Amino acid sequence: MEGISILNGKYAVSMDMYPLQDKNYNMVYKFYDNLKEGRFTTTKCTDCGARSFPPRIICPECLSENMEWVDLPSEGTVLVVAEQEAGVPLGFQAPLIHAHVDLGGELTYLGRVQNCKAGELKEGDKVKLVVIPIEPVPADGKKGAVIQHERVFFAFEKVK
Amino acid sequence: MDRNVCIIGGGMSHWGIRQASARDMFQEAGKACFNDIPGLSNKDVDGLIVASAFTERSCFQTHLAPLVAEYLGIKPKNICARVELLCASGSSGIILAYGLIKSGIADVVMITGGEKLFTPQKWEVFYSELGTGDHDWDGSQGLGLPPPFFSMVAQRHMKLYGTTEEQLAMVSVKNRRNGLNNPKGQYQKAITLEEALNARHVVAPLKLFDCCPVTDGAAAVILACEEKAKEYTDKPLVYIKGVGQATVNNMSANMPSMTTWEALKIAGNQAYSKAGVKPSDIDVAQTHDCFTISEIIESEDLGFCEKGEGGLFVQEGRSDYGGDVAINTDGGLLSCGHPFGGTGIRQGIEIMKQLRGDAARQVEGARTGLTHNLSGLSAAHTVLVYGRDI
Repeated sequence: MEGISILNGKYAVSMDMYPLQDKNYNMVYKFYDNLKEGRFTTTKCTDCGARSFPPRIICPECLSENMEWVDLPSEGTVLVVAEQEAGVPLGFQAPLIHAHVDLGGELTYLGRVQNCKAGELKEGDKVKLVVIPIEPVPADGKKGAVIQHERVFFAFEKVK
Repeated sequence: MDRNVCIIGGGMSHWGIRQASARDMFQEAGKACFNDIPGLSNKDVDGLIVASAFTERSCFQTHLAPLVAEYLGIKPKNICARVELLCASGSSGIILAYGLIKSGIADVVMITGGEKLFTPQKWEVFYSELGTGDHDWDGSQGLGLPPPFFSMVAQRHMKLYGTTEEQLAMVSVKNRRNGLNNPKGQYQKAITLEEALNARHVVAPLKLFDCCPVTDGAAAVILACEEKAKEYTDKPLVYIKGVGQATVNNMSANMPSMTTWEALKIAGNQAYSKAGVKPSDIDVAQTHDCFTISEIIESEDLGFCEKGEGGLFVQEGRSDYGGDVAINTDGGLLSCGHPFGGTGIRQGIEIMKQLRGDAARQVEGARTGLTHNLSGLSAAHTVLVYGRDI
């Protein structure tokens, strides 16, 4: 027997390293819909013009609810790299390469760089956003049915 | 009503890898705290604040404050609640109790904080760390345990200001030596500069002794209005003089600077101005040395030295006993360990003892002290100024 029998086949939000993306669970699901089409996007306030990241439903500058979706640069420059061998969370591979990335001067982000060996990534290198499939969420449907909510997420890769 | 507020006693459980549950350690900490104030009984406490961040994740226990009250025989009537601000949960509890007492809502409040982080399988706490930043945007990139972030902070500080790995190591050598002053801390073993420099990397350039460990433990203090403080203790009175708590960003994308901690400068200035003191008035400080680079930046952004000179500050002994301001006199997080909710309370205990004059190793004549916590990926900062004079 493996694991705790009561949990077999069960999904627990509290153990999910990724966000719930379906529109049943959040109001910025369009980010993930856009991501599925290869677009890296966020929200911008149509009243005051403030561009936020992460995406919002309310502008943190003027509290307007009038938001539009805009594209962000999907290529960037590495500012600094950290290579993690120890304590890598379950579900991520060691070495876990973290990079502080400058996305076209518009945004900096602490992102994960995949398919990258230790010592391979340096300050000044170019990285690009890649969309990755992740495990779907099995949600309770009617009459015992299980609905699979498909998901994607993103990471970065070195431009070679 | 606007009353003076005193810290009248404190104590802690043993910290480290404990064969004990959270509730065991809260009992030990509470008992140690009551032992420090012989004139006060658990029945005299009219408020309880419990500080714990991971209680739901590593103990499967919410609604923690009534549980702790029951175990400690406290029957609070003015406040009985838990507070959470990750690594600054304990200091947050002290600030809230201070406000309640100052305003007359409560008279005698215990603040106890702690964590049980060692669970039967080691991966669990590392995994739970994914929830400490913005889970959906930073945690999902694998950013959980803090060493990768603070490695970047160190690299940037070294590049900008010429800070060296030796200077980082000097912080751990000082704090591990000071850790000999706290028999309940996780380590009572001094290290040499060579040992620090030759230790294995955790995340380069940070090595083993540059990082605080994972820790089980709890601590407790009692605050009281000045009138009650005089009734319950004949030790010198230590006042809370000023507090500040600030955040300017949470998610990594909104961080203004890795090497200048804006929220720390704001929190520090708030605490200094409310206390009517300046950085040069601080005789002894407990700052949040989760990593050696943290203490270096904190000595700069708290105004103990100029920006960029934090490395030199430790190298010249200015943060040691006999220097400008003795920092982390009981070993800090690097030696005592860091059970999140317990840390701010441990810091308060050490400052209280230093100002009362009964610390294990005394900063001679100390009259004004400071505690500082950072929490998250340097996302929030909490500063308290304590003093013998109000």
